[in-house]
Amino acid sequence: MTCRFVYSGAFREMAVDITLLFKASVKTVKTRNKAIGIGFDSTKDEIFKRSRTKSGFSQRAKEVITNITKLKDFLLQHRKDYISAGSLISSDLTRMTDGERDQIDQDAQIFMRTCSEAIKQLRSEVEKQAAPAQIKEHRGAVLDLVETYLRGVCKVYSEQRAIRVKRMVDKKRLSRLTPERPSRAEKTLEVEPTEEKTREESSEKSSSEVQGSSVSLWEEGRVEDELSPEEIQMFEQENQRLVSEMSSLVDEVRQIEGKVVEISRLQEIFAEKVLQQESEIDNIHQLVVGATENVKEGNEDIREAIKNNAGFRVWILFFLVMCSFSLLFLDWYDS
Amino acid sequence: MAASVREKQTVALRRMLNFNTPPLKNTAAEPVWKVLIYDRFGQDIISPLLSVKELRDMGITLHLLLHSDRDPIPDVPAIYFLMPTEENIDRICQDLRNQLYESYYLNFISAISRSKLEDIASAALAANVVSQVTKVFDQYLNFITLEDDMFILCHQNKELISYHAINRADLQDTDMEAIMDSIVDSLFCFFVTLGAVPIIRCPRGNAAEMVAVKLDKKLRENLRDARNSLFTGDSMSAGQFSFQRPLFVLADRNMDMATPLHHSWTYQALIHDVLDFHLNRVVMEEGASSEPSPGGARPKKKSKKSYDLTAADKFWQKHKGSPFPEVAESVQEELDSYRAQEDEVKRLKSIMGLEGEDEGAISMLSDNTAKLTSAVSSLPELLEKKRLIDLHTNVATAVLDHIKSRKLDVYFEYEEKLLSKSTLDKSLLDIITDPDAGTPEDKMRLFLIYYITAQQAPSESDLEQYRKALLDAGCDLSPLNYIKQWKAFTKMANPANYGNSGVKPMGLFSRVMNTGSQFVMEGVKNLVLKQHNLPVTRILDNLMEMKSHPETDDYRYFDPKMLRGSESSVPRNKNPFQEAIVFVVGGGNYIEYQNLVDYTKSKPGRKIVYGCSELFSAAQFMKQLSQLGQK
Repeated sequence: MTCRFVYSGAFREMAVDITLLFKASVKTVKTRNKAIGIGFDSTKDEIFKRSRTKSGFSQRAKEVITNITKLKDFLLQHRKDYISAGSLISSDLTRMTDGERDQIDQDAQIFMRTCSEAIKQLRSEVEKQAAPAQIKEHRGAVLDLVETYLRGVCKVYSEQRAIRVKRMVDKKRLSRLTPERPSRAEKTLEVEPTEEKTREESSEKSSSEVQGSSVSLWEEGRVEDELSPEEIQMFEQENQRLVSEMSSLVDEVRQIEGKVVEISRLQEIFAEKVLQQESEIDNIHQLVVGATENVKEGNEDIREAIKNNAGFRVWILFFLVMCSFSLLFLDWYDS
Repeated sequence: MAASVREKQTVALRRMLNFNTPPLKNTAAEPVWKVLIYDRFGQDIISPLLSVKELRDMGITLHLLLHSDRDPIPDVPAIYFLMPTEENIDRICQDLRNQLYESYYLNFISAISRSKLEDIASAALAANVVSQVTKVFDQYLNFITLEDDMFILCHQNKELISYHAINRADLQDTDMEAIMDSIVDSLFCFFVTLGAVPIIRCPRGNAAEMVAVKLDKKLRENLRDARNSLFTGDSMSAGQFSFQRPLFVLADRNMDMATPLHHSWTYQALIHDVLDFHLNRVVMEEGASSEPSPGGARPKKKSKKSYDLTAADKFWQKHKGSPFPEVAESVQEELDSYRAQEDEVKRLKSIMGLEGEDEGAISMLSDNTAKLTSAVSSLPELLEKKRLIDLHTNVATAVLDHIKSRKLDVYFEYEEKLLSKSTLDKSLLDIITDPDAGTPEDKMRLFLIYYITAQQAPSESDLEQYRKALLDAGCDLSPLNYIKQWKAFTKMANPANYGNSGVKPMGLFSRVMNTGSQFVMEGVKNLVLKQHNLPVTRILDNLMEMKSHPETDDYRYFDPKMLRGSESSVPRNKNPFQEAIVFVVGGGNYIEYQNLVDYTKSKPGRKIVYGCSELFSAAQFMKQLSQLGQK
């Protein structure tokens, strides 16, 4: 028994294409007819007939389809830019401004409206036209198909739009500084419901709110909402405080500056005086040195004098003693 | 065979409807419109597989019968899907001459012969529209797939290949040849679609053998013809190593005559038996209640309603093989769960109405919006579920009415006991003479089953008694003649052993439980089916497992891929098969199918496909038997 080991990823073409066989049979029949001598009809009528029936219903339906395809391609082309979040890091080339996004939304909506009107028009024409029932049914079904196609493309568009609206609403929620309040809850409840019809309306409402905002602390791309009066007052107070702080700081700085300048002047004077004192101190130093020497000499002289004095004193003392002894001797002698 | 036959056929049809190019997955592609034209055969093939909505999605704006009056619709391509018969070809030529459409894509359900192709060619030449005939294809789709694993050969003209046609006494050889050819043609298309060459086994000595021989020959020829073989190597079945070839078991109806007459107890089989069920479509009279209209009043005009039981219907897929009481309970459960979901959606609506009053609503907001989104998106699902529940409620109620009026549960129980040869608690005569137990047909069926399964024929006196009783009940006795003939013919020394089955009626407890449900099944016993194997299932089991059994040992063995056809009946392959296709020549029914499905479930990893040449209900089979018996 032969086993076939096969591995294929696709379903096979089970039917057999015998178009070539058919064409071969056409040739056979042609040659047979020629041999027998049967003539052919001219081929001209066929071409005329076909060109006549080309225009009309199906042509217009095909036009609508090409338009819808153009819209779809347009949406898909800009889809990436449309959806991308406006991050600061991304380059300016790929980022879309909101204005551009709104433009795309508007254009797409106008386009879709025109297409659906064209379809309606075709449908009413089909109704009016007196054609056999099958053709009417066929055309009705064709228009149904076109409408389904349009609806598919509209879905693409509304998905994009929904993502954008959701992102805006999230941003709004995040950029709020105060905690949420019940009064805000109503507004958000109106904005949030996701039923398709109200989504369209509410998204338009929120976009108009957005455009009417006043305060913008950040760069121009971001949107701010209106602030309540209390918040304004609070901001003003804070402003005042900050201003006073700043100005006091400035004053202090100036004062310090002045003081530093004085100090530097005084410093100069001191330096001058000190320099003067230097020369005098030198004199004094000289004098003191002289005096020291004089005193030294004087000390020497005094020492010598003392010596002399001492020596003198010793001689005197000796003399006196001698005198006394002599006196005593004399006194004894005389006696 | 990773994909089921049904999927393969659907894929083939879709490709054909897409001008024979594989359809793109791109959902938002430009619509291209076309017109579909089929004959009755094509209609039968397409209708179980593709709904009208799916056809519309594929761009088919109109679908018309070939032989109806059709108006010219210029500049629209037309796809034809029909059998290459003489009349169809004539009609195509007429269309070509009248230039009804812009371009023609001709798809023939089975292969068209060269001469007929030339007829079309000459008509096209004469009308000068040869360029408009864009493509001609042989689709090889000449069979109808009803379920993932069930197919029948044809629904139109099934009298030509019915049991009656094959087994009638005045059958000519030429007629037989013609019947065999058509059966083999369809089976060949089936294997082409499947993409596998099977190993064929069949019993000896009956119609099944003839079919097997012819099929083997046809497959062999096709494989030898390397140029246009339909089983060429690089385009075989999708995405898997096909080491194993499927086993194709041919069985003949004569092997088991009791099963078609059997009363059934599973949902799908009951619908087929009791209601008008064809090609997965049930046609019922609306508002048919079992209450008689008040005397004198004109009965209400009952409109016919038809329901499609499709693959998308999850409830149907789950419960089509379950015993009927289970089905009743499940419908009740589904209804309850649907009501719960409906209440939840309503509750959400009231929550959303409280906006602005609830401080904590903001934190619940995102929760609620998510719930609301899911509720809105699940609404279509809920509606669809409701529709299905209604459908099944109606169908099940109708079936229940029939059961109650005809006491089908009694019959079922009794027949099960007959088939399993367990002791009978009631005598057959009692049931037959019981006036309000079922229609005469039911009684006849019961008696035939008794006759078929009896070990030895009942004595003459007994038979006379039964005959009288049956005639009193108003039955037609001609089927009995035929069955007698058949029994003698087949010389069933061992009548088909229907295996052990036990039927336990569940007692009072379950009856008490059931009174709470919407379907008040009073008096209808809640019967539990125990697993038992019908003859066909047992034969399949033996052959697949390569078990040795006296019944199947002398089955013939054919392998179209072998170089030399051998007459031996020794199988060369010793491994058990994983995939099998069972085909019953002469007709089959849902009971056999259900039995095979149950068998498959008990043996994981096996895939079994059931096919028959025609699908008949017991009533239709009885008619054929009576026709046969009258000759």
